[in-house]
Amino acid sequence: MKYHSTALAQGLIRCHDCGRLVKLADKNQRCPRCNCALHARIPHSLQRTTAFLLSGYALYIPANIFPIMMVTQWGKNQLHTIIGGIIALIDSHMLPIAILVLVASILVPLLKLLGITLLLFCVHYRWQVDARLWTRMYRIIAFVGRWSMLDIFMISILVTLVNFGGVAQIIAGSAATAFAAVVVLTMLAARCFDPRLLWDLQRDD
Amino acid sequence: MKCTIRKLANRNGNPGCENQKTAAMNSLLLDACPECDLLLKPAAPAIGEKAHCPRCGFMLQRPRKHSIEQTFALSIAGLILIIPANLMPLVGIKILSNLQDGTLWSGVVALMNENMWLVAILVFLSSMLFPLLNIILALLISAHLYLGRPHRKLALWMRLLQQLDEWSMLEVYMLGIIVACVKLSSIAEVKFGFGLYAFVALLVISAMLSSNLDRYSFWQHIDRLIKRGAA
Repeated sequence: MKYHSTALAQGLIRCHDCGRLVKLADKNQRCPRCNCALHARIPHSLQRTTAFLLSGYALYIPANIFPIMMVTQWGKNQLHTIIGGIIALIDSHMLPIAILVLVASILVPLLKLLGITLLLFCVHYRWQVDARLWTRMYRIIAFVGRWSMLDIFMISILVTLVNFGGVAQIIAGSAATAFAAVVVLTMLAARCFDPRLLWDLQRDD
Repeated sequence: MKCTIRKLANRNGNPGCENQKTAAMNSLLLDACPECDLLLKPAAPAIGEKAHCPRCGFMLQRPRKHSIEQTFALSIAGLILIIPANLMPLVGIKILSNLQDGTLWSGVVALMNENMWLVAILVFLSSMLFPLLNIILALLISAHLYLGRPHRKLALWMRLLQQLDEWSMLEVYMLGIIVACVKLSSIAEVKFGFGLYAFVALLVISAMLSSNLDRYSFWQHIDRLIKRGAA
């Protein structure tokens, strides 16, 4: 007998949207309060998360290889990748901003991808871990995801402001689409992962 | 501000004597943690206190003072501020006495002109449409709860609001503006437009809006209204 009792073990489902507890009856059940479909655990959580994650990994490569923007200054064209933009910031002695961009657009997406991979491995191979710690990791991953959009918003502002023909112009590059897709895909992957699975597979705590 | 974090030992005392039948009968009196599914007795934390799940530490409840009234007021303020924040120029730069300024919308248009459709749509959704929808939904819900009027779409609006919350990214946009301005400051003169002040105010309002909205009590109020509407 488990010391802790989960809602599912007692035949109850918590509505994902409104938090109401409903007695488990049949499939295709709907919440009596908010009418959303009821599931004890997010359906196909691992498969969906894996799918989003793999697409995220695949797009992470073009996002870093291809130029994210093209800067024209006095008729000279210059291609910037994400890393190139950070190096340019360091060169012009703007270290704090460079660190901010480095964290938001390189470290956060990469650590997110790796973190979700670890979570998936943990559930799939039934690792016995400190679920409290891993849930905390999940929460951090889910929280920081949106901040990676920083680079995309910055480009959108630069593109509209720096538009002086041959004198100075900034054009967004193909990596911007790939990078935006990575951010959205990892956010979706984090959403699809169900942290309750981490707790379900722990034998005794 | 007094914000004592209190762990509430509200676990089911002895799971042995809690059989399935009684649990189902008490299903409305019980609560489950959304992140670890632990069955709990609902805590009733006072205002300024927080209730955490004793097993995984998830913050279950954080009651707010006058949550409905504050949401109502803040969403009206947000609705007013969103107009100048969207229409007036946020920042401008000056190169060789040519001034170029940008609004939220012009950034989207510039991306579209370069055939970056996906990025343009994403920027439009997360910086313009979703924040607007968020505020409208918060206004609709809080107005109905404040006036005590049931509406059959109330639960749907609340669900939408919860889903959209993550995708409206005004604060990230603000950081983007700051980084862009720092980058541009070396090559041009950067000027702040009136829209930027409205944008910062909107940002503060929408942050207050999502932190003041007490989901737990909102759902309970909605539940009561739906029942009253059905009766």
